Amino acid sequence: MAIALALVTGLSLAADPIKIGVDGPFTGGSSSMGVSMRDGVRLAVEEINKAGGALGRPIQLVERDDEAKNERGVQIAQELINKEKVVAVVGYINTGVALASERFFQEAKIPVMNNVATGSIVTHQFDDQPENYVFRNAAHDSIQAPMIVEEAITRRGFKRPAILADSTNYGQLGREDLEKALALKGIKPVAIEKFNIKDVDMTAQLLKAKEANADVVLTYGIGPELAQIANGMTKLGWKVPMVGSWTLAMANYIDNAGPGGEGARMPQTFIQEPTTPKRQSFIVSYLKMFNPKNSRIDSPVSAAQGYDSIYLLAAAIKQAGSTEGPKIKAALEDLQAPVEGVVTTYHKPFTKTDHEAITANIPVFGEVKGGKVVYAYPADQQRASVIQVKDVNAKGAMKVEAKKK
Amino acid sequence: MLILTQLVYSGIALGMIYAVIAFGYQLTFQTSDTLNFGQGDALMLGALVGLTLVGLGVNYWLMIPLVCAFGALQGTLVERIGVRPAIKIKSEFGWIMSTIALGIIFKNVAENVWGRDDLKFPSPLPESPIKLFGANVLPMEILVVVGAVAMMLAVEVFNRRSIYGKAVVATFNDRDAAKLMGINTGFVITFSYALSSMSAAFAGVLIAPLTLTGATMGAVLGLKAFAVAIIGGLTSGMGIILGGIILGIAETATGYYISTGYKDVPGLVLLLIVLAVRPAGLFGKTAIKKV
Repeated sequence: MAIALALVTGLSLAADPIKIGVDGPFTGGSSSMGVSMRDGVRLAVEEINKAGGALGRPIQLVERDDEAKNERGVQIAQELINKEKVVAVVGYINTGVALASERFFQEAKIPVMNNVATGSIVTHQFDDQPENYVFRNAAHDSIQAPMIVEEAITRRGFKRPAILADSTNYGQLGREDLEKALALKGIKPVAIEKFNIKDVDMTAQLLKAKEANADVVLTYGIGPELAQIANGMTKLGWKVPMVGSWTLAMANYIDNAGPGGEGARMPQTFIQEPTTPKRQSFIVSYLKMFNPKNSRIDSPVSAAQGYDSIYLLAAAIKQAGSTEGPKIKAALEDLQAPVEGVVTTYHKPFTKTDHEAITANIPVFGEVKGGKVVYAYPADQQRASVIQVKDVNAKGAMKVEAKKK
Repeated sequence: MLILTQLVYSGIALGMIYAVIAFGYQLTFQTSDTLNFGQGDALMLGALVGLTLVGLGVNYWLMIPLVCAFGALQGTLVERIGVRPAIKIKSEFGWIMSTIALGIIFKNVAENVWGRDDLKFPSPLPESPIKLFGANVLPMEILVVVGAVAMMLAVEVFNRRSIYGKAVVATFNDRDAAKLMGINTGFVITFSYALSSMSAAFAGVLIAPLTLTGATMGAVLGLKAFAVAIIGGLTSGMGIILGGIILGIAETATGYYISTGYKDVPGLVLLLIVLAVRPAGLFGKTAIKKV
């Protein structure tokens, strides 16, 4: 007994865990993204801990559900900083929650690895301060909007786009980006319509798009309402292609829209296909550990980015040889060894002024087919085994204007 | 013209969804002057229980009576726990808080049992639209309209013809006098709550294939239905139907002709006007309250 006790205390002394916060919506309309992200994070942590942890210490996750509510995010941020004393935080699915929470970590000098929220200004909130603690490994809207426009207008030759966006921060910021990206091609949308979260009838919006002779519908919203758009089109007997932000890949869009949702296309950083050995082992381990329905990851992009965010942080902690916020941040801005992730292999993903790991050359187009997301273009699938690495000169992204204070 | 027809169809379908929920408000108001603010949650519970039954392999049509029985049970529970104590001590507002509280509890329970994601309710009818005077309509939308009207007619006939219905009217007119006449007013009120939640649960499985099913589906719908009940009048079954159709068409027409950003506004403006001009509702009987 005494020996056992001594062993336990001895172990806990030697291996004081490194606490990392995980914040996301694990319940509610955005939960398919939040839960997949969390599971990706858990998988990465398990692998790292099995291999001996970081700095010889195991990583311990402190998971909190922000319910996609800004005020919950703020409470959680304070709890993670003051009570749990985390060394870093990963997560944030909703742009609004990220914007509301990040300033607390900025003040406490704790790095944030934003792995899903796509709002362009998420990493630019503190551009006016000497140090910025917010990093991101997700494709931001300034990449996605031009990609959507490129796909609809240039690749597929549509001329009369209609925009349907929800009334949240996410939808309306995305709509602005879409309008800007269309303007660069000299195109004005024939209809710009809005809808609310929980709306059950999209007839008016769709009729306006139809009457304006739209030949494609560009969307910015989340799963359940996007499904209502697809269902509304079936009802009106008016079917034009849907191209939209990456949320068209959400399981609750695919399931609720059913056959009417097939063919929708969206930018994706990861598609659940074993195109590289790393991706194959990720998919196999994920399915084994979490056993999702029909072997389909609810939101593969969130899972992959969640997984990668932990490896990026672990690499930085290792390089810094410390768990102090400023040292981790400095290491993130100057990562020496490449980090092999699921989305890409990260060679110097961040610099002092560039906190975005994903550039416009990395995402590909996915398409809903047979109830899951597949590569929209066979060519993309063929070249997927060649990993696209970050290219700061990649064409297609719009310049992000820093938030004016 | 085609556009207008289409907007009217969708407006009617949407309005009838609101009306079936609003109907439940009217049922309890008629007997006890109280409302079940958890009506939206009763609807949600009905839809989720129905979804579970369908998942277990029960046929959609066979599932409906089971869900109705569940709804009646749930309504009885709400009345016993939330409303009866308030009526007993003649509290004016106690029932408001307790029905809201019960609604929140039901929602939380549902979130834990069924999760918080929106689920698809398999449609019992074909999902391809049919043409009616040139505009498209889903078979399920027709079923909602028919089902809602049939349910309201059934309850109205029951209230008017049966001895129970007479008891309801008597209870509404003067609770104490009815009691002295030998009517078990407590039972009448409990029964009206059971009936009200039953109609909500029925409405839930009726509309679930059109909306999505989930713990939060009741919130917005319950609120819209409340507006319908106010516009139509809390004492008139006919008024509820017309109120629902008015609000539904106002929403779709505003969305198309003005802006989708403003589609909820005209309905609420109408609500304000009705409250200012005819507080009993467009079709409600004006009751003189002696103080």
